[in-house]
Amino acid sequence: MNSRMNIRQLLLNNSTIVLFIVVFIIFGIWSPLFYSPENITNIIKQAAFTGIVAVGMTFVLLTAGIDLSVGSNMYLSVVVSGLLMRSTGIDVLPALIISLIVGTLFGAFNAFCIVRLKIIPFMTTLGTLIIGRGIGTALTESKQIDFPEKMNDFGQTLFLGIIPMPIVVFALVMLAGYVLLTRTQFGRQIYAIGNDPEAARKAGIDVDRVMALVYILCGFFAGLAGFVLVSQLGGRVDRSFGEGREFDAIAAAVLGGTSLFGGVGNVFGTFVGALLIQMVQTGLQFNLVNLYLQPMVKAVVIFLAIFFDSLREASQKRLKRRFIRPVSASTAGGD
Amino acid sequence: MKTSMKYLGLFVIAVLSVVVSFGVVSAQTDVTICFGFQDLETEFWVAGHRAITETLRGQGIEVLEYNANEDPNRQLEQIRECIAQGVDGIIIIPQDGDSANTIVAEAQENDVPIAVFNRPPNDRSAGVIVVADNVSATEQAVEFIAQKALRQFEITGEAVTPLILVGALQDTNAIGRRDGFFNVITRYNERYPGLFNEPIEVATEWDAATALANLEAAITANPNVDFIFTSSDFLFPTIRSVLEPRGMWVPMGQPGHVLLAGLDGDATACQLIDQGYVDATGVQNLFLEAELTMNRLLQAIEAGETAPNEVLLDPGFALTAGNIFFQRSDMWGCVLYDDGFLDQ
Repeated sequence: MNSRMNIRQLLLNNSTIVLFIVVFIIFGIWSPLFYSPENITNIIKQAAFTGIVAVGMTFVLLTAGIDLSVGSNMYLSVVVSGLLMRSTGIDVLPALIISLIVGTLFGAFNAFCIVRLKIIPFMTTLGTLIIGRGIGTALTESKQIDFPEKMNDFGQTLFLGIIPMPIVVFALVMLAGYVLLTRTQFGRQIYAIGNDPEAARKAGIDVDRVMALVYILCGFFAGLAGFVLVSQLGGRVDRSFGEGREFDAIAAAVLGGTSLFGGVGNVFGTFVGALLIQMVQTGLQFNLVNLYLQPMVKAVVIFLAIFFDSLREASQKRLKRRFIRPVSASTAGGD
Repeated sequence: MKTSMKYLGLFVIAVLSVVVSFGVVSAQTDVTICFGFQDLETEFWVAGHRAITETLRGQGIEVLEYNANEDPNRQLEQIRECIAQGVDGIIIIPQDGDSANTIVAEAQENDVPIAVFNRPPNDRSAGVIVVADNVSATEQAVEFIAQKALRQFEITGEAVTPLILVGALQDTNAIGRRDGFFNVITRYNERYPGLFNEPIEVATEWDAATALANLEAAITANPNVDFIFTSSDFLFPTIRSVLEPRGMWVPMGQPGHVLLAGLDGDATACQLIDQGYVDATGVQNLFLEAELTMNRLLQAIEAGETAPNEVLLDPGFALTAGNIFFQRSDMWGCVLYDDGFLDQ
């Protein structure tokens, strides 16, 4: 009985990974080519930009905040670097740095509004979502931007002749996110603030500073993700670039076990979440599932992941519950 | 002599004044058209906006422009403002089919003739509706590459594997394009059994990143794809980034060329046809659509018709590697491309 309970608890504690493995096996049985190294590489490559944004989003969600502007940030960052690349002929590396600077500044503006002006994150980032896209549209005059050929080459470069560049960037971001969250004081402060900001403040943590850094970091990752995506897309950016990507990033983080209420979550979970979303999409296309059914199947998988996660939370709450023995009538009446 | 010269001079001045003033009157039609559009988010809408405003102003018509920035409620308010200003007619590019119906009803209730450009209302019974025939334009483009596939099939005897990049399924334009594609494939398979394998459908949701991921999956699962139709030309760079690393991005006339067709007729499609990578694209004839819109609206204004109701179809045409020299100037994308649009 006890071992059955333990297995159940183990499965629930790792529900997203279990679901990931189940989905992977099902798609593979359906079409053995799904297990081909080429396809697995494709899944990771396509999940790269969502994963990069999702790491930034994980930092924000851990503080019980939210950043709805990451899609617009991705757009504005690549618009600025693309325009400069075209007008001045700068190379890929300086363009990447410009993209990162714009993304970081975008994040810094969010941080200023949230920390200094005390506007709630939801409203701030909803506003900057609109402002960012508006500025990008004005800069491009609604026209698409076609990056020079060398941008395409960057997206298709193979590191050590085997690993596509987007995967390398994704891996570095994951590693950086993991180290920051688990091996630094800054990471521990993020968890503390997410659990109880007031208690964190009383413990001497500079909450405003940490909050500001979290949004700046999220902006930085959004700028990077935009650049990675445009290099994969053949170097074209139109007005819809990055639109709705904030929801993919939030979904990846939440699927990976990050709580929307802060204090719970990690980068590895986000990695699994981003891969799961992409694997489902790829698997459905790979097996030629009816186009009308595809969004429904995708939604069912996401729903299952969230459902199992809520079961896990409920079960953990049950286990942590403290039972206070009721005072018996005889004891109460004694003495 | 002096007096007669003076009278002759006065006569000449009088005649010239009449001619000049007549000329001025004939150029100014005293017609004001309100043009309400949504944000110009793609080069297609930039070209559509340009086609309409230039056509109207070319006729000496005053144009009041209103950009609703993708907000249907704002567009309704703007149209009410136009009506209050006493405009003679209205042209709109609506945000969606529902809001178009509301705006058309508002204009007609106030006795102002209205035309809807390129994005049709759900109910097509009210207003002048100028719309591209997506099925027809797609059929023309796909027919061109189907012919090429047939010639290949006759030589090699190997079946061709077609793939379609489908747009957002809630968009009637995307559905029309999908229907056009399947009409041609079915027709050819009936006539030439075994020509085409089962077509592969790839969802794009009109999003380049989704298209990239799904196309990459589809090509990995079916590496023998040799016939691709994209429901919109804006996905050609995405297609290229999937085909190129696999050695499948090859120009016409060389072994391994994948037959490629699209729809819209944008500047990139024009460039790629020039370069030989794309075989054909179905073109929405924006210039014809702008002319149809203006002519029908002016006709209604002149006849005092306040609620003209008519659907005007643009059958579109296929711009191919074979006719690009003759029809280049009819394609809005080539006009933009030749103006240096892609270099800006």
